[in-house]
Amino acid sequence: MSGSELLDRRLVVVTGKGGVGKSTVSAALAMLAARRGKRVLVAEVDARERVAPMLGGRPSGPVIREVLPGISTVDVDPRHALEEYALMVVKVRAIYQAVFENRVVRFFLRAVPSLAETLMLGKILHEARSETSGRPRWDLVVVDAPATGHAVQLLGVPRALLATVPGGPLRRDAEWMQALLSDPVRTAIALVSLPEEMPVTETAELDARIGKELSLPRGPVFLNAMPRELYTEGERERLRAVLDAPPPLGPAARAAVLQAEQRVRASAQATRLRELVGRPLIPLPLLAFDRWGRRAVERIADAMEGQV
Amino acid sequence: MGALLRSLEGKRVAIVVGSGGVGKTSVSAAIALSRAMEGGRTLVCTIDPARRLATALGLGSLGNAEALVPAEAFARSGLAPKGQLFAMMLDVKRTWDDLVARHAPDAATRDRILGNRVYQQVSGALAGSQEYMAMEKLYELSTERDYDLIVLDTPPTSHALDFLEAPDRILDFVGNETARKLFAPAIDAGRFGARLLQAGTGFVAKTLSRFTGSDVLSDVGDFLGQFQGMYDGFKERASAVRTLLTQPEVGFVLVASPSPLSVDEALFFHDHLRKAGMPVAGAVSNRVTPDLWPFPGGLPGTEPVAEALAAALASAGPGTEDLAARLALTLQEHQAFARSDAREVERMRRGAPGPHVAVPRLPGDVHDLSGLAALAAHL
Ligand SMILES: Nc1ncnc2c1ncn2[C@@H]1O[C@H](COP(=O)(O)OP(=O)(O)O)[C@@H](O)[C@H]1O
Ligand SMILES: Nc1ncnc2c1ncn2[C@@H]1O[C@H](COP(=O)(O)OP(=O)(O)O)[C@@H](O)[C@H]1O
Ligand SMILES: [Mg+2]
Ligand SMILES: [Mg+2]
Repeated sequence: MSGSELLDRRLVVVTGKGGVGKSTVSAALAMLAARRGKRVLVAEVDARERVAPMLGGRPSGPVIREVLPGISTVDVDPRHALEEYALMVVKVRAIYQAVFENRVVRFFLRAVPSLAETLMLGKILHEARSETSGRPRWDLVVVDAPATGHAVQLLGVPRALLATVPGGPLRRDAEWMQALLSDPVRTAIALVSLPEEMPVTETAELDARIGKELSLPRGPVFLNAMPRELYTEGERERLRAVLDAPPPLGPAARAAVLQAEQRVRASAQATRLRELVGRPLIPLPLLAFDRWGRRAVERIADAMEGQV
Repeated sequence: MGALLRSLEGKRVAIVVGSGGVGKTSVSAAIALSRAMEGGRTLVCTIDPARRLATALGLGSLGNAEALVPAEAFARSGLAPKGQLFAMMLDVKRTWDDLVARHAPDAATRDRILGNRVYQQVSGALAGSQEYMAMEKLYELSTERDYDLIVLDTPPTSHALDFLEAPDRILDFVGNETARKLFAPAIDAGRFGARLLQAGTGFVAKTLSRFTGSDVLSDVGDFLGQFQGMYDGFKERASAVRTLLTQPEVGFVLVASPSPLSVDEALFFHDHLRKAGMPVAGAVSNRVTPDLWPFPGGLPGTEPVAEALAAALASAGPGTEDLAARLALTLQEHQAFARSDAREVERMRRGAPGPHVAVPRLPGDVHDLSGLAALAAHL
């Protein structure tokens, strides 16, 4: 799938290696969707509550809050997801507190395979399909997912449950969760990468796992922080000859040569990634901002325009 | 030799910490390489090397095996070490399994624990498990081998303090009295069959089993029951590791990229190391954009720069005006990166007083011994 209908999905999960720009891409997708009049929820999972500040708001909490017109955010953490779910099961808060607020029990719950992932994913998917007066509550839910390995665990939960739970309410939950996640009309898993060796390798592996191991609908691959092509080979030659010229020419030539070399390496990695994933990438520009905030995210959203 | 390597001169153990992707693995290998160049017998124990670096160090897929970096590999990079460099890749799961085998009273207990699902979760995916095992491996290597210097590269931690806290946190659970009482019915169920659990009287266990299913719970019970006899051995060892970390022969090395988040994390860790009495040998700001403008006060605006560039280029022939504008923009963007990097380097320098080195962004990845040597030259 190309990126062109990405924002018409109900659920877009954004993942990739740590630090590649997942939160930035999530925030920019939300901004773009809001520009098109959509009501968007960004759910941050284990993401250090970075999205809302990138949109100019206070860090998200466990309660859904609107940060910009049309864009709400929420921080989904295992503790609150557990509390919500446990209260649904045990009903009485005093019992909940006696049992679940115990330090040892908390540790035990972390050691139960996939429990945290199940609860967090359940909460997000519940938002993605919830309706108010017959109409979807959100046109789009963007998930700022954890980095690679954790994301695979998270997205693999319904499948794992279906394989192990024979029947009952948990299995019914797993069934609708898997139906939503694996539906290419409603869902896409978008990847973010950088034009560097390790991120490219990791992205290609992740992409293969999402397709083969999890059988989930693969969305576009965003190649973030791509330096622009600014200088021809001839110009680079000329600039190399004046590296030691007095300022501003010398420093400018050095900056340009460094930029051009970075661009050459980045292009090689871009080609490698395109070949490894077997489809076109959506490049996003490397931007020089002193502080990474809403203005930067707006520029990334502008760059996405026409591509998603 | 730079300030960091000098500060590490008397050390036998270096532990390299920082957030993911900042260059911990590269810095670790460069430290080990540089001591080997001077005649030391050194080991770098890494966890997630980039593939090409792993190949360059001769690290195959085999985990936990120390391998000598072959002389040909050095020769290919034009390096002639006076000492020896060894490399190994930490295998977290195997380290856990070895530890269980070491402490288990008999083979049956060992196998029962290794096959337990809760054990598999604790040893595989539980937060802090990698950090715990990295420390465990370090202790084993430092007590049972005779390297001049062991450099421990650390996993991309989501919570920096896991290094210091995970062993106790994990052990407190497995050896916890309350846990044994809470899960007592489940422990019985583990021993005598799951039926008992359903009839069990433990209020907590009953509530939990409604929540997780009873077989998971009996796995916990079984795990805790089996672990009971091994707890003291584990605990003793964890406290020996902790003592090791406070010795003057150990030095922590903080690595950060010049980004606010990464510096925050490094400084947070720095404060906790100080509080815990663990020696910090120095800090590295890695992949720093160099400041190219020689005058104080920063660049004049883009337009005057473009004009001056156009004038300087004019003698070179036609078609240069557009080039001047592009150059002015590139210089301005470069300096914007350099400025924000310098701000973060300064924050790191102030926040973690002591030896500090700034390593520039090198041309290309650090993926072989010559790359490591180039990196080491800045340490
Ligand atoms: N296109 C870009 N150009 C320049 N810097 C970027 C770009 N995208 C991200 N960054 C930098 O990388 C940092 C991490 O981005 P973030 O979106 O938080 O990544 P992740 O969520 O994957 O950890 C940002 O704070 C910003 O400084
Ligand atoms: N000073 C540097 N200049 C250029 N590239 C670097 C530098 N330090 C590290 N790298 C590259 O950055 C990437 C991440 O480095 P790595 O050491 O694997 O980080 P970590 O272990 O912290 O995740 C690697 O591709 C490495 O080659
Ligand atoms: Mg993020
Ligand atoms: Mg590493």
